[in-house]
Amino acid sequence: MPKPSRLWIALVVALTAWTGIAHAQTKLVVGNAGGSSADAERKVFYGPFAAANKIQIQEESFNQELAKLRSQVETGNLIWDMVSTTAINVATGCEEGLLEKIDWSKYMDPKVFQDVGGLSECGVPYLFVSGGLAYDGNRIKEGPKTWADFWNVTKWPGKRGMLYRAEQTFEVALMADGVPPPKAMEVLAAPGGVDRALKKLEALKPNIHWWKNGAESITLLSSGEVAMAYAWNGRVASANKTNNLNLKMELGAGHVSGCQYWAIMKGSKNKELAIKFIQYAVSAQPQADFVRVISYGPANRDAYALLTDQEKATLPAKHMDKASLQLGKLYLGFWLANGDALLQRFVKFAAQ
Amino acid sequence: MAHPPPITALEQASHVAIRILTVLVLAYLVLPILVILPLSFTSGELLIYPLPAWSLRWYRELATSPLWTRATWNSIVLAVVTTLVATTAGTLAALGLQGLRSRLKPALYGLLALPLVIPPVMVAVALFYYYARLGLVGSFWGLVLAHTVLALPFVVITIAATLQGFDVNLPRAAAGLGASPLQAFRKVTLPIILPGVVSGAVFAFVTSFDELLVILFVGSPEQRTLPRQLWSGVSETMTPAVAAAAVVLISVSLILMAVVEWLRRRSDRLRAGASHP
Amino acid sequence: MLALVAPSILFMALFFVAPLGLFLFRSVDNSEVPGWLPRTVAALSSWSGAGLPEEPAFRALAEDLAALSGSTALPLLGRRLNHDVPGFRTLITATGNRVDPARRGSMREQLIGIDPRWGEPLYWQTIRRERHALTWFYLLSALDLRYGAAGGLERAPVESAIFLDLLGRTLGISAVVTLICVLLGFPVAATMAGSSPARANALLILVLVPFWTSLLVRSTAWVILLQNQGVVNQALVGLGVLEKPVPLIFNRLGLYIAMVHVLLPFMVLPLYSVLKGIRPELMRAAASLGAAPWTAFLRVYVPQALPGLVAGASLVFVLALGYYITPALVGGPGDQMIGYFIAYFTNTAVNWGMASALGTILLLVVTLIYLALGRIVGLERLAVR
Repeated sequence: MPKPSRLWIALVVALTAWTGIAHAQTKLVVGNAGGSSADAERKVFYGPFAAANKIQIQEESFNQELAKLRSQVETGNLIWDMVSTTAINVATGCEEGLLEKIDWSKYMDPKVFQDVGGLSECGVPYLFVSGGLAYDGNRIKEGPKTWADFWNVTKWPGKRGMLYRAEQTFEVALMADGVPPPKAMEVLAAPGGVDRALKKLEALKPNIHWWKNGAESITLLSSGEVAMAYAWNGRVASANKTNNLNLKMELGAGHVSGCQYWAIMKGSKNKELAIKFIQYAVSAQPQADFVRVISYGPANRDAYALLTDQEKATLPAKHMDKASLQLGKLYLGFWLANGDALLQRFVKFAAQ
Repeated sequence: MAHPPPITALEQASHVAIRILTVLVLAYLVLPILVILPLSFTSGELLIYPLPAWSLRWYRELATSPLWTRATWNSIVLAVVTTLVATTAGTLAALGLQGLRSRLKPALYGLLALPLVIPPVMVAVALFYYYARLGLVGSFWGLVLAHTVLALPFVVITIAATLQGFDVNLPRAAAGLGASPLQAFRKVTLPIILPGVVSGAVFAFVTSFDELLVILFVGSPEQRTLPRQLWSGVSETMTPAVAAAAVVLISVSLILMAVVEWLRRRSDRLRAGASHP
Repeated sequence: MLALVAPSILFMALFFVAPLGLFLFRSVDNSEVPGWLPRTVAALSSWSGAGLPEEPAFRALAEDLAALSGSTALPLLGRRLNHDVPGFRTLITATGNRVDPARRGSMREQLIGIDPRWGEPLYWQTIRRERHALTWFYLLSALDLRYGAAGGLERAPVESAIFLDLLGRTLGISAVVTLICVLLGFPVAATMAGSSPARANALLILVLVPFWTSLLVRSTAWVILLQNQGVVNQALVGLGVLEKPVPLIFNRLGLYIAMVHVLLPFMVLPLYSVLKGIRPELMRAAASLGAAPWTAFLRVYVPQALPGLVAGASLVFVLALGYYITPALVGGPGDQMIGYFIAYFTNTAVNWGMASALGTILLLVVTLIYLALGRIVGLERLAVR
């Protein structure tokens, strides 16, 4: 047999060294919703953190499918280390032993998160999303000021884009029915609340165009297919910036706002690293940078000080008295108990 | 063998109408696939005509982006291994069933063809629960076996069809001349049924390569395949890279289909040739 | 001989039949309640169901819940019972974390003190009803039925009865798609069958190209083409047919366009293979016997084409019923079919009983159609000899 040439040996050595390095790098696996949010997260959080700590951050697709967490934790076959998730899923996941219970006050100051509901046993808020009344400033000169205006199809003819989900849509319907936004959850949870919301939606129903994902809401507005829509502030601001649009949001009419949380999967071997990442991602400067990229609100109060007035324009800071907050015992308790049942009522309602 | 020529005006009109309809329907079938081809070469960010300029940038992104290259690699590896397992098991099964003279035969055929009739989403979900219990969610071999099960019907049916014209006396003759069963298989049976085996292998490959739902429910991040990546692209951020990936998938399917077609015609010709005195 | 088939049979049994069987079993599986509330179940089995049970039942429940406290079983039990009665989840978790069976005094008082709902018969009746290892609950729910207060069956409240509608919608969409495929596929198959071999081959290739392209890729192509600024709208506006773009995607129209495109080859191919075998001499014979062309068509051609038509149509219909990918990508919120909800209940709602119940019903419908198909066409024609 001919002796392997030096070139081959060099190649093999290089290959092993390269794969060795690739494997030696610690990897943090994060489940997120993809799309523009993930792009922003990558730019502001994952990229800098990975570079600074010489690790690799791998993203996986997680669209709030609890079953994915369940199957990993129950079989002990943990592939993900942490996820970006909603308040309801943090509560559910925490209770069902899918997420790590951590005393977060050891790693960060709980006070700076007070405005957005504080730290959770199993999750840390890292962005604050507001869903509210949006319309195209180029098509509508005299904009709507309240949700009752949104319902007024005589003065503002045209279709209305609404989120195809019971949660958020019911709260908005109650606001249109005259309920002060901070009380919307209370009224909804009380007997007759759901019926009242559905009755109000019934009145608007012939004009409703349901949207299921955020990008669709923006397309509906920008193409003129709907005159007004319920949309999320980050998407509206991003669309204005990227596509030079003039979409306006009237958060003073009332908005539904809540946080997206970082949570660590129970049993993750990279728990310490994940905690370090979360500490980084919720500190003031990265939070402010995140707002600059995607225009969702920061969860960390201190980040506001680092933003200019223009950057704060689409944030609800001035309208927090008009917020229906997606947090707290009432909110979590109500949707945890009634989520499935109300889904059915909602689907039925929308289908008729 | 055309139909009798149309006589009345009504008949002629309906004949023409049918032809026009046929052309329209065939256009409807083929054009969408052709139309996205040029879109993958756009230099812009949106998938609309007219193209601002021609560019290979999206193919370059496919070739360089770790997400896409990893996905392609995973798809190929998974498909190749599945093909090996499914073709081996399927060929043996087809041979075994052909020689079987039992009342079980239709039931066994039915069992092997079962994956064809069960909605894929149910299969994926059922495997998810099952693998979750067994701790196989995200395991490579779990995926191989799942894909094998989905590919087996195609392999078995294809090879069984090939075996229909197979003369069982040939391997018997070989045995009579002193060959062991394995030798008889390798030297006599296999060469004859090879086109069928290759066709079956191609079907298995395509089934695994194009498969989405099982990967969606049961696959781990490490096992992201090309269809899985395409699905993310379509449901989340749609860039022309998605069109480029679609073109790659189309090309793979069409090349393999051409191979199967060529093999089929070749074996038809050989059989026609062989039956002539 | 059988040994050769064994590996394949083993694969099928272990990785197809077993998972499917277990999945279907989940639609009736009720191991949570008897498993986690053994004492309660035992105590309630002798209870009539009227009013409230006696103190021993309260004690049994207190002991069972206390035993679950601190484990993940407690919230999972709560989740399970929440399907029956919304709100049960918080009731179970709150009670389990606070109850103390060792404390003196009436357990009944303690439990009602923790949450007054334990004084309502509904919750006790639910536990009693779900005390067996198997339950009809999921299957009934999937048919918009439920147990009434009196113990008999009643329809679920109209405002949340979505599953029969869903089944109807799924069947309806599949039926429309099948009909369109028949109307479009028959002329194509007939033309192919009546053409010269060379031309028939060329046409066949045109039909095979989409057939060989994966479902996902074809659906993706339609997502790209049907956008507001997509090719189809552009063409229609450019040709003057439309004034401005029409929404063609995320609605029923787009769904039909995409699904027919995906399923048409499944109609054409079996139909073509049957039509190919119809001898034209028979039509000529009918003509020579005095039959008008239309009569000859209806009474000679169509009956012979029927098996192919039925085979193709059944195939298209059954495939359409189970579709998930195409409706998910191209359809709107109101166009989702059963497959979507099976996935939703599996992934997001983590209500595997419901997912399985819907799957069972889907499978039942599919089986019935195949059985009917078998009788009409004759099973032998489909068997491989």
